[in-house]
Amino acid sequence: MSHASQAAPLARDADGAGESRPRAGQPARLASGGLVDRTSTLHFTFDGRSLAGHPGDTLASALIANGVRLVGRSFKYHRPRGIFTAGPEEPNALVEIGTGARRTPNTKATTVELFDGLQAVSQNRWPSLRVDALAINQLGGPFLAAGFYYKTFMWPAAFWEKVYEPLIRRAAGLGGASGLPDPDLYEKSHAFCDVLVIGSGPAGLAAALAAGRAGARVILCEDDFALGGKLLAERREIDGRPGAHWARAAEAELAAMPEVTILRRCQVFGTYDDGVYGALERVADHVAAPRPGQPRQRLWRIVARACVNAMGAVERSIAFGGNDRPGVMTASAVRTYVNRFGVAPGRAVAVFTATDDGWRTAADLAAAGIGVAAVIDPRSGVAPALRASVGGARVLTGARVCDVRGGADGVRALEILHDGRRERIVADTLAVSGGWNPQVALATHKGAKPRWSEALQSFVPDAMPQGMRVAGAANGEMTLAACLAAGAARGEEAAAACGFTAAPAPAPRADDEPCGLVALWHVAESRSKAFVDLQNDVTAADVDLAHREGFRSVEHLKRYTTLGMATDQGKTSNVLGHAMMAALTAGGTDTVDMGRVGTTMARPPHLPVAIGAFAGHHRGKHFKPTRLSAAQVWAEGAGATFVETGLWLRAQWYPRPGETDWLASVSREVRTVREAVGFCDVSTLGKIDIQGADAGAFLDRVYVNTVSTLPVGKARYGLMLREDGFALDDGTTARLGPEHYLMSTTTANAARVMQHLEFCHQVLWPDLDVAMVSVTEQWSQFSVAGPRARDVMARLFGASDVSDASLPYMGCRATRLGGAPARVFRLSFSGELAYEIAVPARFGAALAEALAEAVAAHGGCPYGTEALGVMRIEKGHVAGNELNGQTTGRDLGLGRMMSKKKDYVGRVMAERPALVAPERPSLVGVRPVDPSQRLRAGSHFLRLGAEASVGNDEGYLTSVAFSPSLGGWIGLGFLASGPDRLGERIRAYDPVRGGDVVVEVVSPVFIDPEGSRLHG
Amino acid sequence: MADLAPRAAFAGLLHASAPPEGGIPGLVVSARPERQLAIAIARKGKRAELAQRLRQATGLALPEGPHRTTAGRMTALGTGPRSWLVMEEGGEPGLADRLAEALSPLAAVSDQSDGYAVLRLTGAHVRDVLAKGIALDLHPRAFGPGSAAVTNCAHLGVTLWQIDEAPTFELAVFRSYAGSLAHWLGESAAEFGLGVAAE
Amino acid sequence: MRITCPYCGPRDVAEFTYLGDGTLRRPDPAAPGAAAAFHDYVYLRDNPAGRHTELWYHAGGCRSWLRAVRDTRTHAFESVALATDSVPSEQAQ
Repeated sequence: MSHASQAAPLARDADGAGESRPRAGQPARLASGGLVDRTSTLHFTFDGRSLAGHPGDTLASALIANGVRLVGRSFKYHRPRGIFTAGPEEPNALVEIGTGARRTPNTKATTVELFDGLQAVSQNRWPSLRVDALAINQLGGPFLAAGFYYKTFMWPAAFWEKVYEPLIRRAAGLGGASGLPDPDLYEKSHAFCDVLVIGSGPAGLAAALAAGRAGARVILCEDDFALGGKLLAERREIDGRPGAHWARAAEAELAAMPEVTILRRCQVFGTYDDGVYGALERVADHVAAPRPGQPRQRLWRIVARACVNAMGAVERSIAFGGNDRPGVMTASAVRTYVNRFGVAPGRAVAVFTATDDGWRTAADLAAAGIGVAAVIDPRSGVAPALRASVGGARVLTGARVCDVRGGADGVRALEILHDGRRERIVADTLAVSGGWNPQVALATHKGAKPRWSEALQSFVPDAMPQGMRVAGAANGEMTLAACLAAGAARGEEAAAACGFTAAPAPAPRADDEPCGLVALWHVAESRSKAFVDLQNDVTAADVDLAHREGFRSVEHLKRYTTLGMATDQGKTSNVLGHAMMAALTAGGTDTVDMGRVGTTMARPPHLPVAIGAFAGHHRGKHFKPTRLSAAQVWAEGAGATFVETGLWLRAQWYPRPGETDWLASVSREVRTVREAVGFCDVSTLGKIDIQGADAGAFLDRVYVNTVSTLPVGKARYGLMLREDGFALDDGTTARLGPEHYLMSTTTANAARVMQHLEFCHQVLWPDLDVAMVSVTEQWSQFSVAGPRARDVMARLFGASDVSDASLPYMGCRATRLGGAPARVFRLSFSGELAYEIAVPARFGAALAEALAEAVAAHGGCPYGTEALGVMRIEKGHVAGNELNGQTTGRDLGLGRMMSKKKDYVGRVMAERPALVAPERPSLVGVRPVDPSQRLRAGSHFLRLGAEASVGNDEGYLTSVAFSPSLGGWIGLGFLASGPDRLGERIRAYDPVRGGDVVVEVVSPVFIDPEGSRLHG
Repeated sequence: MADLAPRAAFAGLLHASAPPEGGIPGLVVSARPERQLAIAIARKGKRAELAQRLRQATGLALPEGPHRTTAGRMTALGTGPRSWLVMEEGGEPGLADRLAEALSPLAAVSDQSDGYAVLRLTGAHVRDVLAKGIALDLHPRAFGPGSAAVTNCAHLGVTLWQIDEAPTFELAVFRSYAGSLAHWLGESAAEFGLGVAAE
Repeated sequence: MRITCPYCGPRDVAEFTYLGDGTLRRPDPAAPGAAAAFHDYVYLRDNPAGRHTELWYHAGGCRSWLRAVRDTRTHAFESVALATDSVPSEQAQ
């Protein structure tokens, strides 16, 4: 599964200083350097402007190369925003990608791989990005503070739906969905491995190499399109060569290992029980459209015996005035754009850093020939080596940035607090380094709490999910040397845990770099809005307000201010906000206990995942499987209309020319069966083959009636209950041999009954000698019903076979038909003389065709489930509507079947006083007193004159049909003391659909109560 | 009456697709409509005797656990603690009847020749395609020609077994699901190309 | 979650359906007080935080009913056995 290396050529020597000379068309592209392929140009548009970039660019780096700084408007205040990071943690640069049905909103420009023809549009602005009408919101800032909606849009209640919500929805929100059906394919796949390595930075590559060399099956997942992580963005050396070169060599070695799979563009988004991980592979998001047959995205469920989590860390910002202006970026992002992409985020870049790491950005800028306006560090003492690294740039220690001055174009100047004075420094870009937050989400999805590290001033993983080890920056190991060593060690351990060991190899060598820092969360002297959460527009003032109003727990802070609730899930902001709350809670003392304050619970997915990826191929009519009977192909040819019953598609009726509606077709089918003959596909009913010396005894325990007394060659209707005494299912059981029975179930309950029988056998009575298996699919089965049914049977089988003597009512027999083995049963659901014929399913379509011819010769026709339903209602046979989980055998009028001589499942509970009370609603038939009125299932029964109240409810109507035989609507239902009330008039009341019909209570058997038709 | 004409479960359902970049399809599928299948369930306490009788009658070793054994045209798959799927490729019709007679009263036998529809799958990407529906580790270290499994494939109940190290797999699904399985297979194999071979 | 079926081996939880308490025994329907005993058997359940013996059905596999011991707090399975091979034991309190 490994693919050839996609990494762009390494065009730049790690130590080769570039220049800031602009290139035609890409004014901010450095003359050399970066991992982009300058020999090839890609064309794209942003808000309709034609721009150019190179393979290896992200949309963000290409926008920077073209001098684009303003890329969007913020969620709440519509403030101008630019690119803030260089990775998936991006809170600001959300854009719409693509057009038409492929338009995808809220896509991070920092993760979009540039391709030729890419069309991107900014979001959340009107009428245009530069002139935004709703930017007025920021002037009304205080009104939109935390809790604003909760407090303001309270009443009148009716205003919420009609006025407030539409208003808020129009004003806020991000990109819009296309509203069109998604034209692309998505799919799911499963993968298994010994060691899953998450992240391909130095720690991840070292881990994958160690595990792969030991012979373990390894999957390496990298969210980016190129392997290497931070190595692509840094001027660092490993084993004496540039880090990016080392990464490319490591990638080549891994790609050559047969048991190593590299998944690029694949983000692991969740940790689940027992070593299961969720991951999303963006298979074709980096091209204009997928190839035919190729999925756009693939959702992986990865089962790993061991895992090395090398997710790395995310740099956090500092809260100070105007820290959201376009041009304010994390320091590591600035460095990434310079080193990896060969673009200059600005011409005069100031660095505001509370960390040693931030100084590297200044050093790299200087090395690339980009002007460093100043390095501002709140610490008073800074190592001389750091001072020396920035090429003579101005250094201000013991200093802080208070406010950023600028407009929609971004940063123009900074106000610095230095030696107690405010000073203005001119700069067009500000790189901010507030510290690093290890990515703890995947380590904490199973509920473990991360631990606060004083040294790092951040949370690090503590207890690990089963099988997971964490290595590198994700574990707070911040130097390159530590990442490589930890990666190799955790990789070796993970492989060893799976039984794979190799001769220990020395970890790759790198120098340790300084990584000291001081905690700096908020510059209190700021005069303008200081942002904590850029995506949700949460400010330092909001955290302060939440504190004053008592929302101090981090989970309350989150809900009250929406801190960390945006699509970036607070990757750059959570720790900042929590630390600010901790400081407020400590009341200005120095004892800020972040360990106690904690951080919010992380839940999957770590990064957004499209719903389409979870659906995979199961969309539209493939949302669930469809089961088709063997005769489906014939029924389609016969023009049937189909209905879904469970997963099955069944023929509902067979319309004929001239029939104006379904009722005409169904009534014609019913009349034809009652007057001549018809046939119906009943293959979908469950069929369970039950054999064994104790098969009869077993059936006696699961049915309310006795089955073991059935003679061979006969069938009997049975009812089974759940153990709580309510009806589970019904059907006929035939005895095929002394130790051999065939049970039929309803279509809907077939699987449930099979599970119930297995439970009864395996859990309740394992000592019984009984074996059961579903044979539903083996047999294609048809009912042939009507006064001419015997003529049809005679035509098929020959006269001798189907005489009343040879096949009496409820008889069954194995035989042959048309060269195939067959079974015939004399069963009737319609109340007519009827048979059922079963043949192996391969002959089902042919038998349907033969039956169509045979019944036609006797004036008959095929009939569907609707006519079947009408006829069973006319005969008072219960079905799914009556077997609704709330009815007992007595309710169904089957009390006499319930044996007193034996125990069976549900017997004891069915005898509960309330279930045998005579006033319990029981099965009756009803007919409208005015025959022209129609009935509706679901209507409730009321006494005439009684108020329509729950207290007066006397039962409900379960099944209704227009009976062509009786020329009016009939219904079955459950009525209190029903069987004692025949002849009474009551109301069938349906307030939902405005029905109120006076009906007469009658016997549920509307047709042929003597059963004379059954015997033909 | 005239003989009823049989119709294969996958008739008209398998559609070839070309490999997007030319060459050989990554998956080649063929239906096995002539396969006879029967389920045998050991009667209580008769398992050991059943193993002996099955070997005498067919030459098949009764698989212990979810495994596959073969003898000539016959194959047995373990599908449950007391149940086996016994198959015969070609041969006289009536496998289930013959087995029922030979194994009586040690096993309950039921004919499933029409209950299941069987596909044979091979090709360079067969494991990649199967992984899209089946949550089983099919790596050679975990699953091989002696293995069998009853599991789900894209929400459908299936029985899967491997017949050689090419690798070639066979997949049995309840007949009524043949259309849904074919749809999933067509979409899942499309990126590699799907070849449909004669039986 | 993955469950190691004693017959099929480790499988995804999606292949299984859950029933509940695996220590219950169907009461003797002929014994005095059967009505009360059945009421408890059908309706009354403990909901322990921790070790729990429970019944699962391998619907998507070998169709075996399984008796498993699982920690309800961590989802870790201690044992999984075929119901036919394991006798229900009273739940450890």
